[in-house]
Amino acid sequence: MASVKLTNVKKVYDNNVVAVHDFNLDIKDKEFVVFVGPSGCGKSTTLRMVAGLEEISGGTVEIDGEVVNDLQPKDRNIAMVFQNYALYPHMSVYDNIAFSLRLQKVPEDVIYNKVTNAAEILGITEYLMRKPRALSGGQRQRVAIGRAMVRDSKVFLMDEPLSNLDAKLRNQMRAEIILLRQKLDTTFIYVTHDQTEAMTLGDRIVIMKDGYIMQVGTPTEVFEMPENLFVAEFIGAPKMNVLRTNLMKAGDKYYVTPFGAKLVVDGEKGDLLKKKQVAGGEVLLGVRPEHIVLADPKDEGAIPVTLEVNEMMGSELHLHVYTEDGTRLIVRIPTIDLTPEQREGMVTGAKLYVTFEGKVMHFFNPETEKNLLF
Amino acid sequence: MKHYSDLEYLQLSKGKRFGYRVASFFTGIPKALWNFVKKIGNILKNAGLAVANEAKDIVSTFVQGDWKTKVSYLVMGFGCLARGQILRGLLFLLFEAVFIGYMIITGGYYLSMLPSLGKVGPHTEYNAILDVDVPVHGDNSFKILLYGVLTIFFIIAFVYTWRVNVKQNKIAEQILKSGKKLKSGKDDLRSLVDDQFHKTLLALPSIGILIFTVMPIVFMILVAFTNYSSINDGYETNLFHWVGFKNFETIFSWDVGGVNYAATFGEILTWTLLWAFFATFTNYFLGILVAMMINKKGIHLKKVWRTILIMTIAIPQFISLLYVSKMFTLNGLFNGLLLDLGITKQAVDFWGNTDNSGLLARIMVIIINIWIGIPYLMLIATGILMNIPADLYESAKIDGASGWKQFSKITLPYMLFITGPYLLTSFTGNMNNFNVIYLLTGGGPTNAVRSGASGSVGFTDLLITWLFKITTSGSSDKGSEYYLASVIGILVFLVVSIISLIVYGLLPSVKNEEDFQ
Amino acid sequence: MKKKLPLGAIISLILGIIFVLGGCFLLANRFMPEPLWSYNSAYLTDNFLFILFGALAAFIGILLLVYAFSSFKRNNVDNEKMKQHMGMKATSRISNTVIYVLLILISIVWLVPFICIVIQSFRIQPTGMTRYLFENPEAGLKEGLAIKFGFDNYVRLFTQTQFPKWYLNTFIIAIIVAVVQTIIVLCMSYTLSRFRFKLRKPMMQFMLILGMFPGMLSMIILYQVLKDLGLALDNAVPGLILVYVASSGMGYYVSKGFFDTIPKALDEAARIDGATRAQVLYKIILPLSKPIVIYTVLSAFMGPWGDFVFARYISNGRIGAYNVAVGLQSWLATTTMAMENYTMFCAGGVIVAIPIVILFMCLQRYYVEGVTGGAVKG
Repeated sequence: MASVKLTNVKKVYDNNVVAVHDFNLDIKDKEFVVFVGPSGCGKSTTLRMVAGLEEISGGTVEIDGEVVNDLQPKDRNIAMVFQNYALYPHMSVYDNIAFSLRLQKVPEDVIYNKVTNAAEILGITEYLMRKPRALSGGQRQRVAIGRAMVRDSKVFLMDEPLSNLDAKLRNQMRAEIILLRQKLDTTFIYVTHDQTEAMTLGDRIVIMKDGYIMQVGTPTEVFEMPENLFVAEFIGAPKMNVLRTNLMKAGDKYYVTPFGAKLVVDGEKGDLLKKKQVAGGEVLLGVRPEHIVLADPKDEGAIPVTLEVNEMMGSELHLHVYTEDGTRLIVRIPTIDLTPEQREGMVTGAKLYVTFEGKVMHFFNPETEKNLLF
Repeated sequence: MKHYSDLEYLQLSKGKRFGYRVASFFTGIPKALWNFVKKIGNILKNAGLAVANEAKDIVSTFVQGDWKTKVSYLVMGFGCLARGQILRGLLFLLFEAVFIGYMIITGGYYLSMLPSLGKVGPHTEYNAILDVDVPVHGDNSFKILLYGVLTIFFIIAFVYTWRVNVKQNKIAEQILKSGKKLKSGKDDLRSLVDDQFHKTLLALPSIGILIFTVMPIVFMILVAFTNYSSINDGYETNLFHWVGFKNFETIFSWDVGGVNYAATFGEILTWTLLWAFFATFTNYFLGILVAMMINKKGIHLKKVWRTILIMTIAIPQFISLLYVSKMFTLNGLFNGLLLDLGITKQAVDFWGNTDNSGLLARIMVIIINIWIGIPYLMLIATGILMNIPADLYESAKIDGASGWKQFSKITLPYMLFITGPYLLTSFTGNMNNFNVIYLLTGGGPTNAVRSGASGSVGFTDLLITWLFKITTSGSSDKGSEYYLASVIGILVFLVVSIISLIVYGLLPSVKNEEDFQ
Repeated sequence: MKKKLPLGAIISLILGIIFVLGGCFLLANRFMPEPLWSYNSAYLTDNFLFILFGALAAFIGILLLVYAFSSFKRNNVDNEKMKQHMGMKATSRISNTVIYVLLILISIVWLVPFICIVIQSFRIQPTGMTRYLFENPEAGLKEGLAIKFGFDNYVRLFTQTQFPKWYLNTFIIAIIVAVVQTIIVLCMSYTLSRFRFKLRKPMMQFMLILGMFPGMLSMIILYQVLKDLGLALDNAVPGLILVYVASSGMGYYVSKGFFDTIPKALDEAARIDGATRAQVLYKIILPLSKPIVIYTVLSAFMGPWGDFVFARYISNGRIGAYNVAVGLQSWLATTTMAMENYTMFCAGGVIVAIPIVILFMCLQRYYVEGVTGGAVKG
């Protein structure tokens, strides 16, 4: 239970590759922070610097107010769960969990209590005498978590703990991590490349790219107000549609003109544009697939598109369409909104009309790719 | 040479493709060499820069340092002691004391004698008591060279330690300035089993390698530039001296006192390369073949066949080699068998010089080497064959590949890819395969044409056995010419390293590491 | 479902019995004072072929029996599967037959020298090198095939020669080298596999270059130095130990390759769990490296038994300081010596080989793992 503070943290490898630039972050006590980003963005490196597994090239890492740069991992009082679990293959589950306590010379009866307690919580009591290789992926994952749990450490680090599990198990373990977090009530730093995990688990999300922090914020913040194009595209599935178009100011209102249609920007976004006194001009317009809706051909803002692929996901349809100038868009429509006739009409080559919801559009500067509303 | 793009290359006929690849292989060699030279140049440049930086740092540390640091420039470890790092300080101080003591007592003498390798040789001196001339020993060239080299090593170590000592002061000052505490001796000891554990682990092996491998090699390289031999042994008989490149000239000249060393060396080198080639590749392909036969589906008793072959690995080579060599002598078992079966009327002289070229003996050592080597290769090949993903064969079968095609398009490329570096090391290993040659033939049959050369050269002699013969027996009038052995040793090194360098750069597993992963 | 005996097992059982009995008969026939079965041929003398083939046949017979019994044991072959295999093409059956013939030939070629050396080690007269395994066939026939074999060579080996001393020398060297070299190699390879320090790459490259110098070159100087230290000539045993052990750090390659396959995450997990680097080594890495530790011990132990060059140079003619390789080679150094000591050399060879072969066969699995891994790692 401790705060973690990273100030100007930097990682430069021997071959002068900079993995992390100037990383600044204040993690509060008992906060659950998720580092997310594509592979090679420096998220694991940052975590490993907190753990003491990588040397810190510049800046300071503080745990609970104490600078830990020169401390060995064992002296930092942290626990960590690895991507491949890193269970000691030659030890039983019990010995695996007890390993750190034995190194601390904790009395055996205390160890027994702690280990069985952790095993109870994780539901692995019956496997205590097995070797890791006799366990399934999910069970191994639990052992790895158990090993970290018994340490009563200040910070709990997790490095892509779910990426080796299959989809179903991953969902289940994700829910269990949420429960575990409530039980442990400690500071968590969690690394993942999966935006769904980040959104569901984190109090705050740190989105990284090429060693830079792109945005730090709560899941709602990063989803509704992405600071830049990268964050906008990274968060949310399917990916946000981005098109180059013009933002015009006419009187009191802002318009965008994709594919010849004229769409008004209203609601909160329109107000913000007004408040910021954005001049208009060429912008990158971002529209999430769920914010594109079917339109009446007669509507002013209707855009004619041709259906290319129709992915039936169950509760919703993912329509891959292209406009008259060949731009591809993804449209996400809840199945429940469609009549059976409409659904049958959704075959390859079908002509449809769509329009964008004005109040949830995102605007980015075409050069800097920054959100115009920031 | 015209360089084809990928698509152009694909349009070439099969023969042209092959020609193109061969051509680009050879045209690639100068470039590889040039890259190597450039790399060395870069290394030198970086080393120069590093030295300059160090010098700058030493000066600036002195200028900016406090008085404790300044005293440490003379009295090593003083800064550490003054700042409370007693253990480090004492170690530095002790090292300095030992160094100065050594230099005064012995090091200085050896260092000063190194350029001449001794001035006073063994001679006779008049002994007034006995009233006769008695032999007296003078300087000892061998020891001068040996301890001279050691002293230079020691000086380098001292300079390095001194530099570390200076750096320590700088770091300590910085730490104290930032308000942190210095590490105590206890912390130092603890870090030796933790974050500095590698230093603990490497200390002993490195010292061993330094003294028993590096030092002898440096010494022997230097010997190549002297006239050290059993006649000029530097103490008992004569001093030895620096002779510059004379020994290299000897080895490369056509006529040295009636001996054609250049031709001798050329012949032995040619045979060494031939031998290494045949020994490596016969073993390699036959080993794969045997492994494939044993591993073929439907062959029973796999374990038995394997065990029979592996058993022969366990028997120390000197026993099997000596015994087999005797089996093939004039009155050996094999000749007995041939006579018994009536295949020959007369015993065959396998190790003899029947046609004045030693051809039979050369073929015999290659054959017997197959007998020695196949079990190893069988083991290695079995391990790799089992690792070839089965789906490669399955997809090849579906594509309609026959057994032979499967072998030539999947098994062999895979094997070659995986074992490329092994092939290289086994080639160079065979070039230096002393045991097989020496225990089988002792280098014989003797090459009469080259009898004048040191070490009684034979037809199956490799450079390495020649080197051994020169050091152990040498020639009658010149004794064991150690300097010649050193020259040959250096040349062996050059040949091995050039081959390694060229081949290593061209190996597919080095170039395209991921191909078969 | 009724289990049927596999055909192959029955055939090999029958063949095995025939081979063993036939081989024993041939051998027994040779050593009987009165031959049970007499033969007369101009060329096919008894000595070589009958004894050899008798021994070989018996050996192959035993192998066949072992196979037959082992297949009786796991006789749960699915008959349905067998039937499917019956449809195997005739070509594959032919090629399998060819392979069997080749494998048998290979086995013979590889085994003959070792069988011969064992047989010759028991020969009493003559003790020199001959074209025959036992004695001259002409003389043998005339003397009514008197038994000319016994343990004389072995007795002489242990009572009249320095052989026990050599054996002890080699054994001491091998034991100490096995222990110390293993420790050094493991230290070296663990460090190079797990630590990233500035000198790591230069060190490895430097050792690679050092390895390209012929090791024999350092012989001259090492001899002189050891002589000065009093560790050569009569005192060559400690000197040899020193030489073998000192440069053993260079042989880190195979075990480093093995350590590289142990995931680094294990080290990291242990370090976070509170282990020092030293604890990581002996609590995590070593327990997981049993095969490579055994391989290293085994190859370190076997090395000194075969070393010839250094042992000979450093002992430099002092018979008491020889190891077995130098000692036994010295018996065959000249033709006249070979005439006296040949059979004793064979006996010595057998004595040297037996313990190593037994040890080797027990630990074969680990050795194979090491050799294969080492080659693949390059």
